[in-house]
Amino acid sequence: MDLMLFAPEITMVVTGLAVLLIGLFLPVESKKVLGYLASLGIIAALYLTIASLGTNALAFYDTLSVDALSQFFKIVFLVVALLFSIASIKYTEGSAHVEEFYVLAIFATIGMMFVASANDLMVLFVAFELASISTYVLAGFEKKNPQSLEAAMKYFLIGSLSGALMLFGITFLYGVTGTTSIPGIAASGAAIAASPIGIISVVLLIAGMGFKIALVPFHMWAPDTYQGAPPLVSALLAAGSKKMGIVAAFKVFIVALIALQVQWQIAFAVLAVITMTLGNVAALSQTSVKRMLAYSSLAQAGYITMAFVVLTPMALGGGILYALSHGFMKAGAFIATAAVVYMVLSGNKDAKDPDHIDNFKGLGQRMPVTALSMTIFVFALAGIPLTAGYMSKFVLFSSTIQAGFAWLAVIAIINSAISLFYYAKIVKYMYFLPTEGTKVSEPLPYTIALVVAVIGVLAIGFWPEPFIYWAMEAGKVLLAGGI
Amino acid sequence: MLLSMIVLIPLIFAVLTLLTKTREQARVMALIATVSVLLLTVYTYFNFDSTTAATQFEEFYSWVPSLGISYHLGIDGISLPLILLNAIVMPMLILFTWNDDRKAPNRFYSLILITQGAVLGVFCALDFFLFYVFWELTLIPLFFMVSIWGGPKKHYASIKFFIYTHVASLVMLLGIFGLYFAAWETTGTPSLSIPHLLAQFQFIESGITRDLIFLALLFGFIVKLPVFPFHSWLPDAYTEAPTAGSVLFVLLKIGGYGIFKIMLPMLPFTASPNLMITIMGALGAVSILYGAFLALAQKDLKRMVAYSSLSHMGYVTLGAAGLVSLSVSGAMFQQFSHGLIMSIMFMSCGVINKATGTRIINELGGLAQRMPKLAVIMVLAFMASLGLPGLTGFIAEFSVLAGSFVNLQGYVVIALMAIVITAAYHLWALQRAMFGVYKEKLGNVVDINGYQTLAMGVIAILILYFGLNPSPVLDMMLTNSEHIIGLMAGMGV
Repeated sequence: MDLMLFAPEITMVVTGLAVLLIGLFLPVESKKVLGYLASLGIIAALYLTIASLGTNALAFYDTLSVDALSQFFKIVFLVVALLFSIASIKYTEGSAHVEEFYVLAIFATIGMMFVASANDLMVLFVAFELASISTYVLAGFEKKNPQSLEAAMKYFLIGSLSGALMLFGITFLYGVTGTTSIPGIAASGAAIAASPIGIISVVLLIAGMGFKIALVPFHMWAPDTYQGAPPLVSALLAAGSKKMGIVAAFKVFIVALIALQVQWQIAFAVLAVITMTLGNVAALSQTSVKRMLAYSSLAQAGYITMAFVVLTPMALGGGILYALSHGFMKAGAFIATAAVVYMVLSGNKDAKDPDHIDNFKGLGQRMPVTALSMTIFVFALAGIPLTAGYMSKFVLFSSTIQAGFAWLAVIAIINSAISLFYYAKIVKYMYFLPTEGTKVSEPLPYTIALVVAVIGVLAIGFWPEPFIYWAMEAGKVLLAGGI
Repeated sequence: MLLSMIVLIPLIFAVLTLLTKTREQARVMALIATVSVLLLTVYTYFNFDSTTAATQFEEFYSWVPSLGISYHLGIDGISLPLILLNAIVMPMLILFTWNDDRKAPNRFYSLILITQGAVLGVFCALDFFLFYVFWELTLIPLFFMVSIWGGPKKHYASIKFFIYTHVASLVMLLGIFGLYFAAWETTGTPSLSIPHLLAQFQFIESGITRDLIFLALLFGFIVKLPVFPFHSWLPDAYTEAPTAGSVLFVLLKIGGYGIFKIMLPMLPFTASPNLMITIMGALGAVSILYGAFLALAQKDLKRMVAYSSLSHMGYVTLGAAGLVSLSVSGAMFQQFSHGLIMSIMFMSCGVINKATGTRIINELGGLAQRMPKLAVIMVLAFMASLGLPGLTGFIAEFSVLAGSFVNLQGYVVIALMAIVITAAYHLWALQRAMFGVYKEKLGNVVDINGYQTLAMGVIAILILYFGLNPSPVLDMMLTNSEHIIGLMAGMGV
């Protein structure tokens, strides 16, 4: 076994521990270094992951696999972590708990990366919990802010319940098949299909993962948590943690439970339609931008869920590409919101609802770079051409039509049209409404993170070929039943 | 490279214009861009072979091979006249707005340039992906144009326009997807090339699929055109837009272009071509009559012009459905002529509104005494619009009506009724607003300035020139319409 297969994960672990140790000995004012260190470590891990695209191998007694799927999703997680850690340099400035903040984020990312590589349900579950527990703490990071604490509490309670449901589902599968290995379960497909327990475990697993992906009706926690948590943590949750749920669901349903395809396809079709519709409709009337982005992220998860229904290489490629694009767009949008929140709070420490849409008035003049980036992100989320969002929708929606699910594509396209309303509303506030405030200097770390995300969004929009290729390769891994 | 330059120069200059600080810099930048496009277009025009319907000046680069997307540009006799129209009117529009005082001039000119680049991109694109990208790109600057610099109901008008045409574009996108996958199934390779997909359309087995694809695309085009009953965004958007915005709307000839370029070659291969012809013919004829009646009822001069635009656009659909080369080329010429005429008419409305503070026809009167230069140009445009022989409008409408009479007598009769009404509202408005006794309460109005005279004068002269000698653009339109009609021969249509 080649340990170098896991070079990115090892890099991340080393970075995390180094940040923790060095943080112990640094005075508060020089803790900024930790942010640079974490960002460098993530960049190194990202480089190693990209370099390892194309590798196919199993490791640790076949419990972990390295393939196009796992590496593609690791890139998604690392990209989100990178954006998060760059922007956090400003957010954590002056805090005594910088190292905890970074370590938790890094460990959450490691958990997500192992979920992407998991080839065994036990590994998958443990990695899932590593990521979840780290993010529970992060959501409550602002200890003095009751909203943040409420968000963390809700997220924790519902998260543990969903973890339990998932574990329950896994035990049923183990009971029927006698194994926790994903290919092993797939091999005993006939036994699962024959037993009523198969259906029960499908229901439990959909519920468990549906919580993490925030599919309606398992979504209640998401708007509250995304709104209450520090905006950068919301970025990590919406852009990263949600994708972990999706990759886990890909592995569990499409690989392990392919024998019950008919049953879960219907369930996912219903969930996809309800989720995207409710997400978009609910987003229309929000005045908190974080909450609006939370609902929009429900809608986006609904689109990605279409891949489960269509289940062709192109659709899965589209869904996986969407996951990457969404990582850039949604993380970017939350970081832009975080920059605005930072701006509002630095003007008035006790400002209520710093992410209220009124604070975006005239942002085009007050914070030109942030406003322009936010415009690009929301247009990308709406699916305006030449952005990552459009490319992903193009591949995903068109594959839906190709597979004969024209009705689903029509619903999705109508939803895209609805979504334009609230995305355009943000742009309207930023550029067309007069502002009371004056121009403020934009904090550099936020700006760098935004620019990186904009480059990602436009790169996928203008030059999608390599991204589509690797997303399709990742999709093929799923349809081939893993390796 | 030539076409790429024509499309990209406005887009690149749009960014540069956005970075300028003063009104002077912004307008000079915009003028440089539009004049460069005009020069390049004129060069293209003189190197264009109007005796063939083949695609010329083709450019091809592979872009996303796994999905069959390419960067593919090319023009033919359908697109070149429209490119020429756009390239001519745009510098005039910049000159027309030369001395205007408005907020954020850099954004204003930048949006104008983006619109130009996007519209030219639609005319040049030979790949559906590219076509759709440019198609959608036209929407954004126009939306902002109306919602920033528009009239009192600008927010309502801009949102209505956006939603209406965006939904139509999405339906069109569904049609494109349908065509793409149906052809992918038959040929085994993905391709979004427009010529390729048009050629493959006839090999799609299911007739219902062919009809649905056709109708989805048609819907996208006729909403943009627009045609009754999908026109209700038009009066609001055209009227609420600033003058420059209204002219940009007028130059947005992409709906009609789609009908000639994409719909007509597909038409004979639909499962029920006669039904499609009926739909297009009927919608066209009704638009002509209905638009004219609505225009007659308007009190606001600009709104009247907007509805007359609806009426004129009816000729485009009617002529296309006429399916003889006379009517089809007439309909193409109508697009060209309408662009020139309506530009002047909207500019006149803008000037009058600015000078007198009102556009209500009843409150105006005798303006010709104080604004003689405007009056001359305006009368010429109104005469061209009502179809006076010797001006471009006559040639277009006469060809459409005469040509369509071969196949669509009933619809032509409906359209003919509109001619009287058209003459009535034009003359009536002109008489009440411009002539008669000058109403003193309008205050001390001044005539159009030198830049405006130049801009409107050049367009007016072109209306006269192409009215007397249409062949420089009509020849290539005829070549292409004959080619399209040739495709249909033997299809029993």
